[in-house]
Amino acid sequence: MTSQKKASYLFIALIFALGVLMPFMIKRYHLNMLTEIIVFALYAVSYNLLLGYAGLLSFGHAMFFGMGAFTVAVSLIHIPGLSMWNAVLLALAMTTVVGFITGGFLLRHKGAYFALLTLAFNSLFYAVATKWHKITGGDDGLSITRPDLNLGFTTIKMADLTNFYYVTLVVIGVAIVFSWYFTKTAMGQTVLLMRENEERMKFLGYNTNISRLILFTFTGALAGLAGAFYTLHFQFVSQSAISVDMTTTVLLMTFVGGTGTFWGPILGAFVYIILQNYLSDITDRWPLFMGLIFIVMVLVIPGGLSQIILSIRRLIPGKRNTDRPVAAEEASP
Amino acid sequence: MTDYLCIREIHKDFSGLKVLTGVDFTVSEKQRQAVIGPNGAGKTTLFNIISGRFKASSGSILFKGQDLSAKPAHVRNRLGLARSFQITNVFQELTVFENIRSGVRSRNGLRYNFFRKPDNNRRINERTEAIAEEVGLKGVMHVPASALSYGQQRALEIGITLSTEPELILLDEPTAGMTREETAQAISMIDRVTAGRTLIIIEHDMDVVFSLADTISVLHYGRILASDVPEKIRNDQRVKDAYLGEE
Repeated sequence: MTSQKKASYLFIALIFALGVLMPFMIKRYHLNMLTEIIVFALYAVSYNLLLGYAGLLSFGHAMFFGMGAFTVAVSLIHIPGLSMWNAVLLALAMTTVVGFITGGFLLRHKGAYFALLTLAFNSLFYAVATKWHKITGGDDGLSITRPDLNLGFTTIKMADLTNFYYVTLVVIGVAIVFSWYFTKTAMGQTVLLMRENEERMKFLGYNTNISRLILFTFTGALAGLAGAFYTLHFQFVSQSAISVDMTTTVLLMTFVGGTGTFWGPILGAFVYIILQNYLSDITDRWPLFMGLIFIVMVLVIPGGLSQIILSIRRLIPGKRNTDRPVAAEEASP
Repeated sequence: MTDYLCIREIHKDFSGLKVLTGVDFTVSEKQRQAVIGPNGAGKTTLFNIISGRFKASSGSILFKGQDLSAKPAHVRNRLGLARSFQITNVFQELTVFENIRSGVRSRNGLRYNFFRKPDNNRRINERTEAIAEEVGLKGVMHVPASALSYGQQRALEIGITLSTEPELILLDEPTAGMTREETAQAISMIDRVTAGRTLIIIEHDMDVVFSLADTISVLHYGRILASDVPEKIRNDQRVKDAYLGEE
């Protein structure tokens, strides 16, 4: 194992250990916020696989997040006795199918047309969520109660925030680590190479259309998983989960963190949620200040927070500058 | 002798502009065929049609008895056909090693796997290294393509073309823009790496053509004007008038 690999695995283990200790170290209010951050971190990671790795600018990622969120709520309400795992699996299945079908339509187009079509599809899903009152609750939204987790030998009470936090940490954490691993696998590298030179890939035996569809579906399912935990976390879902605002949110998280690295968007989600919470405590006009902060960020540091950190790391003596611009190697956390 | 690659009546119009007007030629297995002709004769267009970049307006391409006409580029590659590009078309940000490995792992079926890493596959990495050595780039294997000299980039272009172990190789002006010395080196490298395979090469440099090819086809105004062994082509009056000129 190379030293870089070792460092990556050590870093992941450290983050998990820190996550396990968190409930003993922070207040309930903050633990609540941390759970939300973890959920949004996966959402941002899934978006970055699409934008940063494949170079696909989508304005429709919330349709998967929202689809996952609603699937969990609707299935828990309408299927009595449904376990939490099965509700989450249903959400994954649903977003995978929807990702595959919508991807089949959307990916026929490139660049601006693709971006606009994703926006149109997102609006379509939003309209359905708003109008189909009987199922989605429309403007009122849907309230659920987290079912307890049956592990066979014991049952874990999910009403307790700390327990739910641990489940989120493990499930979402594993999904994020797998996403990171994915960037090193054959498929992850194929996606990166396609962004670099799609035409050459075709002449090397790669079916680039299928590759893009698989990636689109995969990122949709990841966003769906994040959405499922969003509903479980708040025990409530409304049409805002599937709105274009929810796409804007992930876009900002990704840009604030930086698309050039794998872990940038996780940092972006962290900063975004914390800022949002504190600013909304101070003023009702918090979106205005959030907007200003983002404008300044995009103008001054287009590479996001991860760019700042990488620049600082390069200044430390003994740290060689081994980072290549937006290449696979930078994907280590 | 069965025909290995059989091109019949290929026509190509670009919105009214007739670039190819009925190209016919056959290539037999292990043949080394050059396609020459003045600029704008349609040589690269013909390559684009054989390799699947463009669809022909009409006509057919048979490769080992299979009709390729409706098959996309990636399928043609998997059937054993590979091409290089006249304008260097490599993965600029990646290292030489990663560039060549992209094709080696495709050939070994490691294209879309969600779990296996190319980094861990010894067979693929060894084959990649061997190809880098064959094209003379072993010393710069871990240098990004963008940092290579022009001659090295051209060699990488050929390395990538070889990476899927093709039986039929199409080279589009592999020595364009090279100095005489570089050209001489490139000729001997191409001769070595394409040994035992079928080669079709487009070239303007007659030294390259006469040292590599055993058959030459002259493309003129979208048609094959003549197709024969180098000696006969050199003395063909029609070819002299159209392209080679009097010595």
